[in-house]
Amino acid sequence: MKILIVEDELTILESMLSYFTEVGNVCESASDYLSASEKINLYNYDCILLDLGLPDGEGLNLLKELKKLKKNDGVLIISARHSLDDKLSGLNLGADDYLVKPFHLSELKARVSAIVRRKKFDGNNIITFNEISVDITKMETSVKGQIITLTKKEYDLLIYFLSNKGKVVTKNAIAEHLWGDEMDISDDFDFIYTHIKNLRKKIIEAGASDYLQSVYGIGYKFGMV
Amino acid sequence: MRLADRYNRVNLITALIVFLITGIIYYLVIHFIFREKLDRDLTVEEDEIKQYVSTYNKLPLPASFLDQQVNYQLLKGGTKESRSFKNTNYYNSKEKELEPGRSLITTLVQGNKLYIVTITKSRLEVDDLVRIIVLITLGVTCLLLISLILINRFILKRLWKPFYFILEQMKAFNLVKMNEIELNPTGVDEFKELNTSAAQMASRVRQDYKELKSFTDNASHEMMTPLAVINSKLDTLLQSGPISEQQGVILEDIYNAINRLSKLNHSLLLLTKIENNLIADVQIVDFKDLIAEKSRQFQEIIKKEQLILNINLSPCEIEMSRYLADILLNNLVGNAVKYNHTNGCITINLKADSIEVINSGKNFPLTEQHFDRFFKSASSEGMGLGLAIIKQICNLYNFSIEYSFSQGTHCFTILFEN
Repeated sequence: MKILIVEDELTILESMLSYFTEVGNVCESASDYLSASEKINLYNYDCILLDLGLPDGEGLNLLKELKKLKKNDGVLIISARHSLDDKLSGLNLGADDYLVKPFHLSELKARVSAIVRRKKFDGNNIITFNEISVDITKMETSVKGQIITLTKKEYDLLIYFLSNKGKVVTKNAIAEHLWGDEMDISDDFDFIYTHIKNLRKKIIEAGASDYLQSVYGIGYKFGMV
Repeated sequence: MRLADRYNRVNLITALIVFLITGIIYYLVIHFIFREKLDRDLTVEEDEIKQYVSTYNKLPLPASFLDQQVNYQLLKGGTKESRSFKNTNYYNSKEKELEPGRSLITTLVQGNKLYIVTITKSRLEVDDLVRIIVLITLGVTCLLLISLILINRFILKRLWKPFYFILEQMKAFNLVKMNEIELNPTGVDEFKELNTSAAQMASRVRQDYKELKSFTDNASHEMMTPLAVINSKLDTLLQSGPISEQQGVILEDIYNAINRLSKLNHSLLLLTKIENNLIADVQIVDFKDLIAEKSRQFQEIIKKEQLILNINLSPCEIEMSRYLADILLNNLVGNAVKYNHTNGCITINLKADSIEVINSGKNFPLTEQHFDRFFKSASSEGMGLGLAIIKQICNLYNFSIEYSFSQGTHCFTILFEN
């Protein structure tokens, strides 16, 4: 997929670029309004990651520009403002999603993947990873062509892992993804373990390899061993 | 006691005392003057009698006029001459009644006989005069006092009107709602000064408050970017290669700390936003649905802690921000879960106009302070903002919140009816 990251904070930009850069992805970046506007005018992207607080212009205006150009690029707004108004006006202007800083790169990736999937939707919206395939429209998971039944949480987990394949995903990020960021009952995320254990069991029992690795205490990695 | 009442009281008491004293002095002086005049008249009479005696060498006839009587009385020898004025009563033969009089009792020598002469003049007229004067004085005094009271009551009330008006304004002044102090134009200098001072103070306070709020807002926002940097760098670090178990533990601690910090920031921002009433997505919120959703959200922890959850739901729809309703329930139910103990219980009773969350927990009651920002018990793991946020949301929508504790059971009730 082809992605444009518009972010003025260079250190964050760098991290995002390195997280998104992988085989099959083209990542470009812009750190101010002008260069972002230029790139938007010249190229088409699958998804634009847009920071609202740019030094030389209001990020929301880029959205308007995009609309004027009648482009169908996916847009994910990144903002330091946990503001409902910003969110609503962003979404009204045609943004696909809204993410508040600070965020987990894995969360960002999952959301970008979801936007790109939606935008590229061409009848069969299926994520395939080796013998595992997930039909997003039907919410069906199958291993080697055989449908397996997953709970809602397990299904969400699988999608999350598939969007972040080969990456270490932290327990914090998983908990936040599955339960929302208001879920701050404790720092103890052991309860997500049950879901992961069940998901892993179901996939292995259906005849797939074990792609889930636990990374010492901190999280999990899904991918080729 | 009101200023006007106090002023009135002092005023009236002083006026009364002054009038009383002047009244008494007035009475005494008039009395004295009239007595002097009577005495002078009596002396003139005495002189006439004495002259008559020296001229004709005999006593004049005892005469009885309308208001004057003269009596002679022969005295036995050896009595000394004397002369004195006296208040007496005499018999007015014409009016046929006893009347007050003033007598001059003096001695008179006619030949070698000593007479005692009593000249009496009626005091009635004088007394009447004095009475009339006293009555008029009293009447004038009363009239004056009454008019004073009336003036005080009505004029003062009107005069103080601007004062009470500004006082009402100041009472109603609400920093959070940012209402303006309305000024009533007045011609009185003191009140003019009071008005301008009150208005200036209000605008100064508002300005300070605004600055303080925008400070919290800006500080929290500015913290988000570095937090995002740390978070993204950590995520990148994680991908950079094999991690040892020890590193994993350290990284997890850092993640947790960042998590807490960003939640703290979000909570602070949320509080400022609620205070500023900046959350506008007011709609009809179905609490029944929302609670069902919350119980699903918390089910993992409830299961893990083996809590018994009883939910009694009646239909309940409240007009408020969906976002805040979500946070309200999150904090209420979250607290009930968080501050519970293993095998404890949680009861949620939703009625049309109230929600009650009862949970087992620490065996001591919470105090008012627990609703303050950043106040937390020694054993609390939270940030101390959960209850403050609940309180703020309730304040915003005029919900009342009640808390009770008995035998290790904490009960929070929110009444939606204002």
